[in-house]
Amino acid sequence: MKRPIFPFSAVLGQEQIKNALIWNFINPQIGGVLISGQKGTAKSTLVRASGAISGKKIIELPLNATEDRLVGAIDFEEAIRRGVRKLEKGILYEADQNVLYVDEINLLSDNLTKILVEAAGDGVCRVEREGISASYPCRFVLVGSMNPEESGLRSQLLDRFGLYVDVTAEENPLLRCEIVRRRIAFEADSQAFAEEYQEEERQLAGRIQKAKERLSSIGVSDAALTLAAQLAQNANCQGSRGEIAVIETARAICAWNGSSSVNKEAITEAARYALPHRMRDAQPAPQQTETPPEEDQREEAPEEPTEETRETEPPSEPEKTPEEQQTKESEEDPKPEESGSDSGQSAPGKEKEKTEEIGETFAVGRWLEEKSKTLVRRGSGRRSLVKTSSLQGRYVKSTMNRREDLDLAFDATLRAAAPYQKTRRREDLALVIEKEDIRTKVREKRTGNFIVFVVDASGSMGVGRRMAAVKGAILSMLGDAYQKRDKVAMITFRRNQAELVLGMTRSVDLAAKKLETLSTGGKTPLYAGLEAAHTLVQAARRREKDLLPVVVLVSDGRATAGRSKNPFADAVEEGKALTADHIKTVIIDVEQDFIKLRLAEKLGREMDATVYQLSELRAGAIVSAVSMAVKENTGILRKKRRADE
Amino acid sequence: MKENIQYPFTAIVGQERMKQALILNIINPRLGGVLIRGEKGTAKSTAVRALAALMPTLQKVKGCRFGCDPDGTDFCPECEAHLEAGEPLERTEGKMQVIDLPVSATEDRVVGTLDIEYAISHGTKKFECGILAQANRNILYVDEVNLLDDHVVDVLLDSAAMGVNTVEREGISYSHPARFTLVGTMNPEEGDLRPQLLDRFGLVVDVCGENSKEQRAEVVRRRLEFEENPEQFARQYEPEQQRLAGQILQAKERLGSVRYENEILLMAAALSLTLGVDGHRADITMIKTAMTLAAFEGRTKVSREDLKNAAVLVLPHRMRRTPFENGVLDEAAIEQILREHA
Repeated sequence: MKRPIFPFSAVLGQEQIKNALIWNFINPQIGGVLISGQKGTAKSTLVRASGAISGKKIIELPLNATEDRLVGAIDFEEAIRRGVRKLEKGILYEADQNVLYVDEINLLSDNLTKILVEAAGDGVCRVEREGISASYPCRFVLVGSMNPEESGLRSQLLDRFGLYVDVTAEENPLLRCEIVRRRIAFEADSQAFAEEYQEEERQLAGRIQKAKERLSSIGVSDAALTLAAQLAQNANCQGSRGEIAVIETARAICAWNGSSSVNKEAITEAARYALPHRMRDAQPAPQQTETPPEEDQREEAPEEPTEETRETEPPSEPEKTPEEQQTKESEEDPKPEESGSDSGQSAPGKEKEKTEEIGETFAVGRWLEEKSKTLVRRGSGRRSLVKTSSLQGRYVKSTMNRREDLDLAFDATLRAAAPYQKTRRREDLALVIEKEDIRTKVREKRTGNFIVFVVDASGSMGVGRRMAAVKGAILSMLGDAYQKRDKVAMITFRRNQAELVLGMTRSVDLAAKKLETLSTGGKTPLYAGLEAAHTLVQAARRREKDLLPVVVLVSDGRATAGRSKNPFADAVEEGKALTADHIKTVIIDVEQDFIKLRLAEKLGREMDATVYQLSELRAGAIVSAVSMAVKENTGILRKKRRADE
Repeated sequence: MKENIQYPFTAIVGQERMKQALILNIINPRLGGVLIRGEKGTAKSTAVRALAALMPTLQKVKGCRFGCDPDGTDFCPECEAHLEAGEPLERTEGKMQVIDLPVSATEDRVVGTLDIEYAISHGTKKFECGILAQANRNILYVDEVNLLDDHVVDVLLDSAAMGVNTVEREGISYSHPARFTLVGTMNPEEGDLRPQLLDRFGLVVDVCGENSKEQRAEVVRRRLEFEENPEQFARQYEPEQQRLAGQILQAKERLGSVRYENEILLMAAALSLTLGVDGHRADITMIKTAMTLAAFEGRTKVSREDLKNAAVLVLPHRMRRTPFENGVLDEAAIEQILREHA
């Protein structure tokens, strides 16, 4: 299909993307480029436009492609007609010697990602399916683009990319104007617009072609090699892919500039593109997935205060803003009437309202990750990538395993049946399908977890920096949750009721706003908070069968308002109801008073929930507490599913 | 009650901004659609469905499954084959339509899939069209768009961005034009939209119930009247409907000759930079919206007012900074920013 394409040379700015693409065209050994950046920054426009100047075809891999189309499958028309098994080659075959472009590559299904990584690594695609055993070469320039807000990229895929470019929008108002003007002119009359740039495009294409011819003559001195190795080492890169990419890129740069051998400038320039995504411990965007224990691996993002600082200086923190300082000081002189239980004595008029700012946020490491690669391969992706048994979810490939609810993979069934048509009695149909041909769909769905924070907002929570710390922790987890496609909700309880502050959401912005204005004061109707959480989870479960709920209760357990004379008993009752309904609960005990009543602990025992102490209310501890819960949670679900089957 | 009579668009009380945004999208299908956010019962769906009556007639290729434009540049593979064979494309006319995308739609229904019947009876592969094929050159309407499955959203994003639906699945490899105007409605209480999908909507309108007693009464009065006798009610509004449809048609023709001055571009850039929006999509959409507004009002030159009006529709859902007081971007706030930065 011919469709008008915005010319490469008409794109203003974004020199880094242009460079990276051009160098890859000159020297495909570089290994492609990953373009990461905000929405609307001409990422895909440039990639799609580059076909005209590179002389290569831009083959796109849509996110919803199925495995059979990526690698190829049996040619079923041929099989029916002649009864032979012939391979109908897939996208990877078309991509050979061309550019394979995956937009939103961070959202690609795990299954396709795996195949892609293998093919990119070997330069060969091996097909072993449907009775076909074949292989064909697929050497392509892999180009991916992504918006890091949506999700990180798996490290094994990240490492496959030779270069990495981070893009932002143009800041100069005059350039912005020109960008708009060109876009509008293009949309008004794309053909005339393209013609205007034809000459420029032709020249660019010619220059790339010349550079390509020159490439083989570009020598690399030992000094250049040493420099590249040094840079890679400084960046703490694993393996030698980093320096190879630097060298190959530097060669392309020199070919492009017309120098005869690789010089120092070219190496440093190349390193700027080839190393950022390989730097260990200094990598901002991507997160790794297939990682064992969480505890010792959470120290990413070195710029921010790390866990260690936290550990040495418990709850009250470094880097206080002036306001924080103030709250802190005012807290230091003890106010027993405020910190003590507010039972009975908090008459409405006397009630103290207090709104704490959001405490420190931090980079969240791998929490809530399911680590085991189980037989069902359920936890292979983002947080919990469920091979879902419902009929929802993306169809990624087919299987011979039959299921009760026949989710027929018709294409695969046809392919399975095709070779036997010659020998089967067909009568009126063109095709006879036998029972053994039946294939069903394997679907993937990112369900994520559903984390309900139930936060005690009664007067006693205003003590210390409890609320600020809780706010900080919630906000940090929200950012992480969005990437992992987790859903979060928040319920607060105080005075006589629970309030749904934040319905099931993934919006970090909205949550931040709600958090900021969250204030404390009043009685503690603990039961109401738990009840509200229960209702919320039940409603959510009705909508989504595979949901994995976790309730995180943040409270001192001192219930002071209830349905009956005994508020605590009411809370226990609600808590037990949660447990009975297979909803995992984690209690963060924030009791800080001199005489401890240990009510939260008691509640936890009664309802069989895990309890963590206030001293563990450092962000890291909450995080791991919740993550434990999720692990158990998935265990339950797995058992349940097995029972169902 | 007869089913096929729609509540007339012009009979909707108030909700001017929503109506304006919808009309702008019919005039200029390249604005990128509109998202209408609001509580239940604020005439969101009614307005979208009522739009059908105002839609212009399009030239189509006869028999084409995708409703290709015989005067256009991008064709589906079938029309392309005809052209290559030197056969002329037969013409037909058809109204632009509102195509529904139900929230429960499966991915294969959305993008299209292998035609099972054809495969069984003929033993060959054929592409069976999905909703995106129907949506080509039409309005694709998603009610409760915030409840759409993630993977369906990904597909929508892809096609909405490129105007092409590429299918590489279930043994099928097919690509066809899917240039549609995405219209979504949602109730924000039921959850949010992914920022990336949000950004794809050219315009966003927040609606709320009418506040004045008189207007509320009028809403109910008209509704009852409509239910009582839809035909008569519709007839009553026919002249107004005709007038609006005519105005839309004229605006469409005028759109090509609308011009803007540099100052307008600079204003748009200043707003985007001040409000910290991502990328350049906001600038482009703002200018296009302002141009369409000018065309709708019968002018061929974009005014400052047009841009301000456009900014209110284009920017609120994209801004990351709110350097003005109450956090609501209205015309006063825009005026203030322009005074300080442009």
